Amino acid sequence: MDKISIPIGPQHPLLKEPLSMMVDIAGEKVLGGSLRLGYVHRGIERLAQQRTYVQNVHLIERICGICSHVHTTAYCYAVEALLGIEIPPRAQYIRALMCELERIHSHLLWLGILAKHIGLETIFMHTWHDREMALDIMEEISGGRVSHAANQIGGVRFDLDEEHGDMIRGILKKLHSQVDGLLDIIETEPAAIARTKGVAPISSDLIKAYGVVGPVARASGVDIDLRRDAPLPPYDKLQVKVVTHPGGDAWARTYVRAEETRVSLNLCEKILEDLPEGDVSLRTPRRVPEGEVIIRSEAPRGELFYYLRSDGSDKPARLKVRTPTLAALSLLPVQLAEINVADIPVVLAGVDLCIACADR
Amino acid sequence: MNRIKKRLTILNAVIEAMIKSPETVKYPFGDLTLPEGYRGKIEFDPDKCSGCGLCVRDCPAEALHLNKKSREEYTLLYYPARCAYCGQCEDSCRHGAISHSNKLVGATTHKDDWVLVFKDSKASQE
Repeated sequence: MDKISIPIGPQHPLLKEPLSMMVDIAGEKVLGGSLRLGYVHRGIERLAQQRTYVQNVHLIERICGICSHVHTTAYCYAVEALLGIEIPPRAQYIRALMCELERIHSHLLWLGILAKHIGLETIFMHTWHDREMALDIMEEISGGRVSHAANQIGGVRFDLDEEHGDMIRGILKKLHSQVDGLLDIIETEPAAIARTKGVAPISSDLIKAYGVVGPVARASGVDIDLRRDAPLPPYDKLQVKVVTHPGGDAWARTYVRAEETRVSLNLCEKILEDLPEGDVSLRTPRRVPEGEVIIRSEAPRGELFYYLRSDGSDKPARLKVRTPTLAALSLLPVQLAEINVADIPVVLAGVDLCIACADR
Repeated sequence: MNRIKKRLTILNAVIEAMIKSPETVKYPFGDLTLPEGYRGKIEFDPDKCSGCGLCVRDCPAEALHLNKKSREEYTLLYYPARCAYCGQCEDSCRHGAISHSNKLVGATTHKDDWVLVFKDSKASQE
């Protein structure tokens, strides 16, 4: 059968962000594909060199609209490491709470997109409704639904009181029962299983060869999670359960993310329980001493890498960000080979791409 | 058994959806309550401003501008269209002159509203 190349993107109903793919097909079978990136490149790394450390907190937050908090967390920890300060424990816990809430909303958003792609519109509606609960908490405590502006160099910008604690606990309890229901659907619903089980399986060797991280790696049985392996505070004090599955297919990725949402809900409760007393921020100098630092943090999509070099001024000399999506993107053409055309949306959704993060 | 349980779950969801009020608010016709700490429209207290310019220095969106002739003679301008509502100016101001209210930012049809004079030291002296 003749080979036909079909373009998907940069603007396509299947994609939520611009990405250009050329997929080679023969009949109903996909032979392979190629990618083109850079449609949402904003030059943030270069921009960061022209702005002060304080201004950069808000610039960095705009790298991604879903995992905005974890970006600023990694950046702030990097600046604080160069300054040689340790932020108050209460601020560390509040940062972690926001990170976990972000993971919950990111995973629920992703689950909704996958459900929509496989034709389960009802699940899409339910997950996005549930995701709003996590966003409500974040809006209530930080003042912003998507751009939280929670972090500042030296701590966080808000404190939690008893009222906040009760509100968060109440919503988390509701979310728990909703996520249990979703897990039940993923495990038992025949339509969901038929569309995801056995689709585009990736072996753990391939995952390691391509350096893929996060839930995609964990769904292929690779046991990595920075919250346990190289924890930023306060994760060293929290017992993080790492969810893995040996399957490697789209179903395993769904299962891992849904189960991780449950783990994150438990972590949020634990953080609220252990929340230490004290200040939430420190006053810090504007000029950062000369030096360089690497900070790694576990974003909802995997390992987030920040490199920061200072020349002693109030602006960074170099900021390098490596996001987890980049590695997952390199594996995408491999995943697209030997699948059916109808499974392309499932594979694309299964990887949970964040193009804005990868392009910056 | 499992099937019956599933059917009941669906029935439960249907009844719940019939009883509960809509998730959305018909703003501006309905009441919209925003969280207390919501970073909305910026409010300014000219009496507290000392013209130090820290807010201008820290604003990541360059939405604030200070025309300073001397310690006493200065104008602080605010460009709402550029503002990212990040709250950095509120944080940076040591005198509490700038603060976020939990009101929504209204649209404007007047070109003059694109620049707000937060403080004109001459005008305040008169």
